[in-house]
Amino acid sequence: MLFRARNFVLLAVVIAALALTVESEPSAQEAGSVRGRVSIGIPITAKRGNSTYSRSVPTVALAPESELRHVVVYVRDAPKSAVAPMRAEIRQRNENFVPRVIAVTVGSTVDFPNDDPIYHNVFSLSRTKTFDLGRYPQGKSRGEVFDKPGVVKVFCQIHSHMSATVMVFNHPWFAVPDQEGTFDLPGVPPGLHQVTAFHERLGDTTQQVRVEPGRPTMVEFVLPVPAQP
Amino acid sequence: MNTPPRLIARTLTVTFATVAVILTIAFIVITLDVRNRVRASETEKLRVSENVFTALESKRQQDQVAAMATLAENPTLKAALDTYFTERRFSGSSDAQLRATVNGETAKLASQTPADVLAVVENDGRIFTSAGPSASQWVSGEMIEVPRGPQATFQSVAVVPTGAFRVTGARLTFGDRAIGMLVAGTSLDATYAQELSNLSTAGVVITVNNSVVARTVPETVARDLVASKLTAGTATLGAEEYAIRTMLASGPARIYTLTSIDAAARNATRDALVAVGLIAFGSFILAAIGSFVLARLVSEPINRVSGEIATMTSARDFGRTLELTGSSRELDALTTAFNDLMRGLSAAEAETRSAYLGAIRALAAALDARDPYTAGHSERVSTLSVMMGRMLSLDAAEVEVLRLGALLHDIGKIGVGDDILRKSGPLTPEEYEQIKRHPALGARILRLVPFLAPHLPIVELHHERPDGRGYPFGLRADDIPLDARIVHVADAFDAMTSARAYRAALPAAVAFAELQRFSGTQFDPACVEALLAAMPSSHDIAEPALAQLLGRQG
Repeated sequence: MLFRARNFVLLAVVIAALALTVESEPSAQEAGSVRGRVSIGIPITAKRGNSTYSRSVPTVALAPESELRHVVVYVRDAPKSAVAPMRAEIRQRNENFVPRVIAVTVGSTVDFPNDDPIYHNVFSLSRTKTFDLGRYPQGKSRGEVFDKPGVVKVFCQIHSHMSATVMVFNHPWFAVPDQEGTFDLPGVPPGLHQVTAFHERLGDTTQQVRVEPGRPTMVEFVLPVPAQP
Repeated sequence: MNTPPRLIARTLTVTFATVAVILTIAFIVITLDVRNRVRASETEKLRVSENVFTALESKRQQDQVAAMATLAENPTLKAALDTYFTERRFSGSSDAQLRATVNGETAKLASQTPADVLAVVENDGRIFTSAGPSASQWVSGEMIEVPRGPQATFQSVAVVPTGAFRVTGARLTFGDRAIGMLVAGTSLDATYAQELSNLSTAGVVITVNNSVVARTVPETVARDLVASKLTAGTATLGAEEYAIRTMLASGPARIYTLTSIDAAARNATRDALVAVGLIAFGSFILAAIGSFVLARLVSEPINRVSGEIATMTSARDFGRTLELTGSSRELDALTTAFNDLMRGLSAAEAETRSAYLGAIRALAAALDARDPYTAGHSERVSTLSVMMGRMLSLDAAEVEVLRLGALLHDIGKIGVGDDILRKSGPLTPEEYEQIKRHPALGARILRLVPFLAPHLPIVELHHERPDGRGYPFGLRADDIPLDARIVHVADAFDAMTSARAYRAALPAAVAFAELQRFSGTQFDPACVEALLAAMPSSHDIAEPALAQLLGRQG
C-alpha cells in the first residue's frame, strides 16, 4: 500500500510537470482539455490517504488491466456538435468480438468481418439501433450505419457468449484509454462538465469537471466503483 | 380307582407337549431376535437407500445443472437482458419491450423445465422476473439469497417469505462477464416431500431454520425429530423407534429420511409368526400321526400277548408258553419272564400236588394199617382200578383221577371206631349203619380240599349199586359215575381175596365167580368184564405174578 501510494505521488509529480509544459506552450484556443487516467482494480483506500475505509474490493472481483480497452471516457453533457462519420470494425475472431468495445460518431459505419471458419450472426435489440445482419461465413463482412447516439449492444445469435458494445456519440469528446489507461479529450468547451468513464461490465463512474480554457484538467477514474460502506 | 389312560393318549400328550415347548422357545427366540435384526437391517436399508437416492439425486441435480447451463445459453434472453441493463445504466431509462422479451423468454424456458419456478435473478440477488407454477412466490424486485461466488452453476436453498426452494442456478455470462443468473427452484413442500418419500421408500421431513415445512410422517414424529437435533442414527420419535438419516443439509434447509423400526419389526415378526404357525400346524399333525403309529406299534403286540394270557387263564391252560412277538426287546423280555413265572408256578404246583399225594397216600396207608386185615387194601384197589380204567380206554387224566380216588376211597373210615372196624364177629345193624356212613364222611373231608374235588364222586359213591340198593344215595346204573363203579368192583374183589378175622381169603377164581354172579345187580357188568380182562391170568390167581401185582405178602 505504501509502495502504491508512493507511486502515485510520483505519478502526480509527472502529471504536474506535463501540465506545466502544456501550459508553457503558447495557446490562443479558448477550449480546454480533459486528460487523465482510468485505473482498474485499484482499491480506493490506496488512493485516498484520508479515507476511513477499512475494507477493500477483493482482488478476485477485479478485472485484469487489459479491461482498460473496454472503457469509454466521454463528456456526458456535451452539446450536440457536428461530427464527421467514421468507419470502424469489430472482427469476429475465435468466437469473440474484437475489439469488444468501440466508440464512434453518429453516422459512422461499423463493419463486422467474420474471421472464424464458422458461421456467425450479428444482431442487436438496442433502442438506439435494432438490426440483424443475419448469418454469414468466414471472409464475409457486413456493415451497419449507426445514425443515432446511444449505446448499442451487439450479439451473436449462434454463440450466445459473444457480445460487443458500440457507443455512438453526437459530439467528438469521447475516447478509449490506451494500454496505460491514459486518455485525452481535447477541445472541450470551458465550464462545468460531467465526465463519465463507462465500462460495459465493471460499471461506470461520473465526475464533475471544471474545464478551464487553454489548459488541461486532470481527472482520475477508478473502476469498478468501490461499494460504499 | 381311575382307569389309567390309553397308551396313545399318553404318547400324544408327551409329543404335543414337546412340540409345544419347542414352538414356544422358537417363538420367544424369534420375537427377540427379529427386533434386533430388523433394527440393523432397517438402518442399513436406510443407509443403502440413502446412498442410492443420493447417487440418483446427485445425477438428477447434475442433469438439472446441465439443463440450466444449457438454458442459460439462450441468446435472446441474454441479449435482451444485457441490452436492458446496459441501456438502463447508460441512459437511466429502460425499455419495456426488452423486459417483456426477457419475461417471454423466461416463461418459454420455464415451460421446458419440470421446476416449480424459473427466474432471472440479477447479480445482487434481486429477482428480475419469474415464471412457472410457483412464480407468484418469487416476486420481481425481491431479494433472494443465492451464492455470490464466481462459479458458473450452483445449487443451494433459497428462502422466500412463503416457503423454501431447492435451487439450481446457472450464470448468464458473456465470456467472463456475468449479467445475472437463471435460477430453477423446486418448492420444498408436501408434494416434494411425498416425491422424495416415494423414491427413498422412507418417511421424509423437510425443515427450514429448524421448523418443519413439509413431512410425510405424523406431526409428533416430525416435531420430536427437530427437537432431537439428530442428524443420523436411531431415536425414539413419537412413541416409536426410528432410524434417521440426513439426506440434504444446505443453508437453512434440512431434509431427513426416517423409517420406523417398530413398524418394520411388526411386519417381520408377523411374517415370522405366520411361519411358526404353519410349522406348528404341520408339527402337530406329524406328531399326531407319529404318536398314533408308535402307540399302535407298542400296544398291538401287548394286546396280542394279553389276549393270549386271557385265553390261557380262561382255559386254565397254564402249561402253554407264550410266543415271543418280536416287536420289541422289552415286550419279549416280559413274555419270557411270564413264561418263566408260569413254568415256576407249574413246577411248584406239581411239587405241591406230589406232596399232597404223599400225604394222602400216607393217610390211606395209616387208615389201612388200623386193621391188619385191610393192610395195603387202598393201594391194591388203586392198582386194580387203574388197570380196569385202562381196560375201559379211559384217558390219562381220568386214569390219574381214578388212581388217587381209589387210594382215598375209604378215607371216611377215619370216623369209624376201631371197635367196629376191628370187630371179628358179625356187626349189629347199628354198627353196620356206622360203617355205611363212611362214604359221606369221606366226601365231607375231601370237600375241605378243593384240589381233591375231582376225586370226590369216587369217595362218596363207591358203595352205590346198579340195582339202586347201594348207599348213601341209592343211585341206579348210569346215574353212578364210571369212576365210582370201577372202584366199587375193585374194592369188592380185593375184599373177597383178602383174609378177614371171621374167614380166610377167597381164591381169585371164587371172587370172580362171585363178581359175575352179582354182575348187573350189585356190580357194573362192564367193570366186572374189565377186571376179568385186566387180570393177567384169571384162572390161576395163585400165580406169583398176580400176588406180586397185588402187592400181597406171601
